[in-house]
Amino acid sequence: MSNITEAGLATGYARAASRQPALVTGTDLLVIGAFVLVVLTMPWWLVLIAGYEALATKIVIWAIFALGFDILLGFTGYLSFGHAAFFGSAAYITGLSLKHLTSDIVPAMAISFAGLFVIALVIGVLTLRRSGIYFSILTLAFAEMAHALILSSTLQAWTGGDNGLTGLPTPTLLGSPMRGLTVFYFASAFLVAGFIAALVIRRSPFGLMLRAIKENPMRLEYTGVNVFAYKMSAFVISAMYAGIAGSLTVIYEPYVATEYIYWSTSGEVVIMSVIGGVGTLIGPILGAGFMLYFENVIQGFIGEQWKLVLGLIFVFMVIFLPGGFVDLARQIWRSLGHRIRARRYNVPDMAPEADEDRLRRRLDREEAEAR
Amino acid sequence: MTIAAEARPADAVASAPAPFFAARDVHAYYGESYIVQGVDFEVREKEIVALLGRNGAGKTSTLRTIARAAQPSLKSGEIWLGGMPLHRMSTHEAARAGVQLVPEDRRIIPGLTVEQNLIVAQVAERPGWPLAQIYEHFPRLAERRRQDAITMSGGEQQMLAVARALARDLKLLLLDEPYEGLAPTIVREIESILQEVKRIGITTIIVEQNAIAALQLADRAVILDMGTVAYQGPAQEVLDNADLRHQYLAI
Repeated sequence: MSNITEAGLATGYARAASRQPALVTGTDLLVIGAFVLVVLTMPWWLVLIAGYEALATKIVIWAIFALGFDILLGFTGYLSFGHAAFFGSAAYITGLSLKHLTSDIVPAMAISFAGLFVIALVIGVLTLRRSGIYFSILTLAFAEMAHALILSSTLQAWTGGDNGLTGLPTPTLLGSPMRGLTVFYFASAFLVAGFIAALVIRRSPFGLMLRAIKENPMRLEYTGVNVFAYKMSAFVISAMYAGIAGSLTVIYEPYVATEYIYWSTSGEVVIMSVIGGVGTLIGPILGAGFMLYFENVIQGFIGEQWKLVLGLIFVFMVIFLPGGFVDLARQIWRSLGHRIRARRYNVPDMAPEADEDRLRRRLDREEAEAR
Repeated sequence: MTIAAEARPADAVASAPAPFFAARDVHAYYGESYIVQGVDFEVREKEIVALLGRNGAGKTSTLRTIARAAQPSLKSGEIWLGGMPLHRMSTHEAARAGVQLVPEDRRIIPGLTVEQNLIVAQVAERPGWPLAQIYEHFPRLAERRRQDAITMSGGEQQMLAVARALARDLKLLLLDEPYEGLAPTIVREIESILQEVKRIGITTIIVEQNAIAALQLADRAVILDMGTVAYQGPAQEVLDNADLRHQYLAI
């Protein structure tokens, strides 16, 4: 072994390092396969656990919403309290297109996609200048403004005001009506595509940048990375997931409720992500499934106190399992004697300028000493 | 080199070569407090300059102003690096122009492995040394490349911080108190890293409480007092001149 020099070792390491990590590995293909299987059979197995077929569609749609939300919260560390603005805007644009343009969903989804891209860019430019709690409050403010705009007397003739947007035709896809399981499979295709996209994002250099932003944006800025551009991309991608979910909701149920753009919708997607496991791919999807299952099925068993029970579960999860269901699974796996890699389940740091704060304290101290 | 020509103040002698790096009458504020009060100095290519002074003299603030950090904010003055106007750039633009600040806390990104820390520096435009070259110079990093960077020792983190700077198109390395808070054995490790930096010939400005150590490494010294340059000259001269050291450095 003596002929292996340090330099030789280093070259070996370097060679190993220079190999680009594959964006999708064999294990990923297995995971994706299992995921597709579980999703596509949902209408069948959901009935076995006292659910119903249409609930499966709702779960798939909200899973897309929560997955996209986690690209911003879990990957990048930005907690948006205004994602209802994207979900709701897309729902309204889709609804208006179905009502006034054509009942075909292709133009409806295309217009809502394009419209939402612009909305996300504008809100992103105005909110991403701040981080932590300030970002959260700004996004909430924009979502509330969007809600107020929808209900305003100016737009009432178009949006239906408090009644929501009603009287939509049955959506069609190239002439065939979108009903029941057709909508489910259509939405599932988006979920699977969204899942694979999120997986690739997380694995890519872009995903690495987002993680670095979550940990410490200032340090990345010193490295020479345009942090704002990366944040913006994550924000827009996340908004587009929300938009697709909003469009699909209207296709699933041709009606736009004002609630879609209300803050409670933003809150719900936050809870789904946190309860499922922030920063993971499967967590938010599990969270969405759990929440909807609870709202629609468990509610029937425990009666009107269901919200209290749900609240308790949420409190319990945040205190004892901040990593959500995914963490629960890991804890069980570990208790069975397996080794797991340590993970950080941090909700975004509310003081991302900690570096600056520390420096400032030091400067103050030194100034005092110098006097 | 027309841009470089602008770097010189109007009264400069036309035949004098444009300096590699120049800070011209730089004023910067930290919030309300006026910290950098007209700092003016130059650094030649491949030179190591020790930026010294008592606590509160404005050393770190000057360093951060050069790196165009969000704080302190530059109010007036010009900062030129190889003909590029740093004073007109944002933090990440200055970094792309080749300025790499290694702050006191070493700027490792936690939660990322050693290698990911290096890759993040290379994804941005104008990468510097490839990973292979970095690992060749710092075999310790190669051994630990899969490890969460924040779990390494202080010296290894410092090594990674310097390596991260080298992973970029590095023109000017800014080191803020590289010895701060480290055990004596690790200080020796850092010394060897800095000797390596010197051997490679990286233009460096080093701020350090341990003035003697910094002076032994540096070619020239710039001493700050009350936010302005009080002295500049060969590092050896400061080492030899006890009065000077006593007056400005209290050593």
